[in-house]
Amino acid sequence: MQNKLKNIVVCKDCALVLNKPQTDYKHQFHCPRCNALIYKFGQDYQTVLLLAITSVILFFPAILLPILTLEVLDLKQTTTLVETLLIFFKSGYVAISIFITFIGVVVPFFMLLLILSILTPLKFGKNSKYVSKILKLYEHLLEWQMAEVYMISIVVAIIKLQKMATLHIGLGLYFFFGFLIMMFLTMSLFNPQDIWNEE
Amino acid sequence: MKYKNDKDLGLVLCMHCMKVLESKQKVCPKCNSKLKQRDEYSYLKTLSFSLVAIIFLFPANLLPMMEVTTLGVVEKSTIFDGILYFFQTKSYFIAIVIFIASIAVPIFKLAVLLYLLYVTRYNKISLAKNATKYYRIIKFIGKWSMLDIFVVALMIVMVQFGNLTNISAGLAAIAFTVVVISTMLATQSFDTRLLWDKD
Repeated sequence: MQNKLKNIVVCKDCALVLNKPQTDYKHQFHCPRCNALIYKFGQDYQTVLLLAITSVILFFPAILLPILTLEVLDLKQTTTLVETLLIFFKSGYVAISIFITFIGVVVPFFMLLLILSILTPLKFGKNSKYVSKILKLYEHLLEWQMAEVYMISIVVAIIKLQKMATLHIGLGLYFFFGFLIMMFLTMSLFNPQDIWNEE
Repeated sequence: MKYKNDKDLGLVLCMHCMKVLESKQKVCPKCNSKLKQRDEYSYLKTLSFSLVAIIFLFPANLLPMMEVTTLGVVEKSTIFDGILYFFQTKSYFIAIVIFIASIAVPIFKLAVLLYLLYVTRYNKISLAKNATKYYRIIKFIGKWSMLDIFVVALMIVMVQFGNLTNISAGLAAIAFTVVVISTMLATQSFDTRLLWDKD
């Protein structure tokens, strides 16, 4: 029975029992009945680690430098992302604003840190069971991080504000877009399933 | 050959590391996760989250989303007003993006959720493949409905000129957040394997 179990896989979307396919690094394997992805190999850990470190470095100028300056009559207002975090403690709509900054900026950054803390021990030869808890948290957050939505909403907000006031885009915004692009790259190349595929 | 699923063969799939085990086992030896063939509350969870979303959809669309105060004059606008504003100012692209993200996507998601519940409840296995496809679509587009909320929150932060111009969020912002979060939770708690189960 043990031996038999080694040679089968079960589709996670439709529970179909299949013979274990011969897999390599080039091909993906999909469920023949519901087309769910069953096997895929990601990029090697080294590449992902380097990309993750790059994104973490980009994060700091992105949140510290001004994203934009608004001018209404003689009044000027410069916003940085750190301020967007802090301003909520002053203004009325605390709950929603904290929640949004949280899923738009804090969670993506936290997930990069999670990737680092998953891959670093593995690189030093730790058992995959060792990172199981962190990996579970990472997979859970994957659906709740909204960095890409945040990026588009900044663009929409800028277009909206252009009609209300004079607006200068700051260096921070470019760093922030850079951070987001590097982050997407990291997350799309990192395939959590790889950690379990190696036996 | 007849299709067999994990229930037929007395197997259980670890949803974390995808290891196949005998159903009498309670904990996965490979990654220490709890094992369960199906979550028996999956249907109920999806149903209740969908109902919450349907109820909150009304205040989300009828109440004001954003309140712009210019020199003491308050201007309230609902989601739909916002879209109309963009149409009138000829920003058609942004208007379409916001229309898709905040009106089309939530309604489409709820329609699909109800369809999934219907297929599960009445065991329409012939529709299972179709339903799984729709499930994957709503899972993918889920977070994009947050766009409008993000825009409002960003504008609140960026525009703080005291008495001159000020932006604050309306009650619809909260209702809309509830709609998006509960549809996402409904999607997450739905198990597509229920569509394919014969009993």
